[in-house]
Amino acid sequence: MDDTATKIIEILKKNMKEPSDDIGLETPLADLDIESLDLAVIVFDIEDTFGIEIPYNANEEVEDFATVGSVVDKVKSIIADTSSATA
Amino acid sequence: MTGHGVVTPVGANVPSFWESLKSGTCGIGEIKSFPTDELYITIAGEVKDFEPREVLKSRQFHHADRYSQFAGAAAQEAVEQSGMAMPLAGDESYRAASIIGSGIGGLTTLESSYKALYKDNKRATHPLTLLKSIGSSAAAHVSIEYGIKGPCFGVVSACSTATHSIGLVYRMIRENLIDLGLAGASEASLAFGSTRAWQAMRVLSPDGIFPFSKDRNGTVLAEGGGVMMLEEYEHAKERGANILAEIVGYGTTSDAADMVNPSIEGATMAMQMALDDAKLSPSDVSYLNAHGTATAVNDINETRSIKRVFGDAAEDISISSTKSMHGHCLGGGGGIEASATIMAMQDNFAPPTIGLDTPDPECDLDYTPNKGRAREITYAMSNSFAFGGLNAVLIFGPDPS
Repeated sequence: MDDTATKIIEILKKNMKEPSDDIGLETPLADLDIESLDLAVIVFDIEDTFGIEIPYNANEEVEDFATVGSVVDKVKSIIADTSSATA
Repeated sequence: MTGHGVVTPVGANVPSFWESLKSGTCGIGEIKSFPTDELYITIAGEVKDFEPREVLKSRQFHHADRYSQFAGAAAQEAVEQSGMAMPLAGDESYRAASIIGSGIGGLTTLESSYKALYKDNKRATHPLTLLKSIGSSAAAHVSIEYGIKGPCFGVVSACSTATHSIGLVYRMIRENLIDLGLAGASEASLAFGSTRAWQAMRVLSPDGIFPFSKDRNGTVLAEGGGVMMLEEYEHAKERGANILAEIVGYGTTSDAADMVNPSIEGATMAMQMALDDAKLSPSDVSYLNAHGTATAVNDINETRSIKRVFGDAAEDISISSTKSMHGHCLGGGGGIEASATIMAMQDNFAPPTIGLDTPDPECDLDYTPNKGRAREITYAMSNSFAFGGLNAVLIFGPDPS
């Protein structure tokens, strides 16, 4: 697991009621018992940590938020887009 | 109820507001009052064509926050329509209330002051910063304007504020604390910082406000205010006032559960309390102005609550979310929607929910999609639900005489 994934899992754990130790890239977000307001806080934390903006809307079901791995991929792609835009 | 006034994104007085609602006019557009370059939410319902110095006669309002100016203009329209001789004098002034709240008060004043202080390194803020910001300034300005010397304060309950204010004045009259009162709320919180804060909650739509639609993807912020003149029945009759409607029921509950996820029970109980207060049965209500915010959770929860309260009669109610046109005016919303409800009764016309082309299968009541409908409306309900699970419901009926 790379640095981005490790940081994201740390953020998830920090915002979970009962953080479990066996969170992997395959873990579905739905299994983590995260409430909607907590998810907004998690997205904010990720944005703040990586200096990016994630277009997430709580009213929609988004594929990017299906599993921990898909969040990591999404964050990586936004980081890549952001750095190429500012380069 | 002998007078009402509004300031909204689809009309800055009741006649133009009602004309817009009847014709399904949308007041949502690209934000013009502040730069949105750094935001991905760039739309809102802004009040256009509002020149406080032209609308408001009194100088005290010219230096007030925009939220107080909305309240002042709405109160002025309500007072004029009521024909009540104001400012009040003598004993009567102590038998009157000014209960005008706001979700947050003079937020744009605060934001610009903080910007001056922390970003622009100004040494001082404007001397009126504090008076403009406080959430009781609208109520105070209105009391000064009309010589109201009885109860005067602002109610605070986020998006239920105006409905709670109206309900409170109704109860004050019923309990013989006062003979008349101006009641409502206003909100003018569209600013960069507050939009950023809303954006961070992930509940706003970047596209538009489509209540009860399968395609809905969040609410749209707006600004505005609504104020009503309420009077004790004999008081209004004695002075020969034109009684527009009677408040017949008020229900209010708190979910005591979650800050953002509404409960069916809380909304259900509030509507049931209002019906019980009005001594009406479910089939008596023919129009319901829904809270209808177009968030994923509200619209389903509200639909289920309405079904639970009204049972089979739910199918026969014309329901609409006028937020589809004026947007979510937050604290002021309930006052604006109460005005829409009164006009629906006066005109026997249920205004539409616009943008409702593809109904959500889980929101399967008659939401008066896209086109309003003429029908006899004797009793009508208006729902307001707020963050924190704060529910307030009013029922209006005809002039009791």
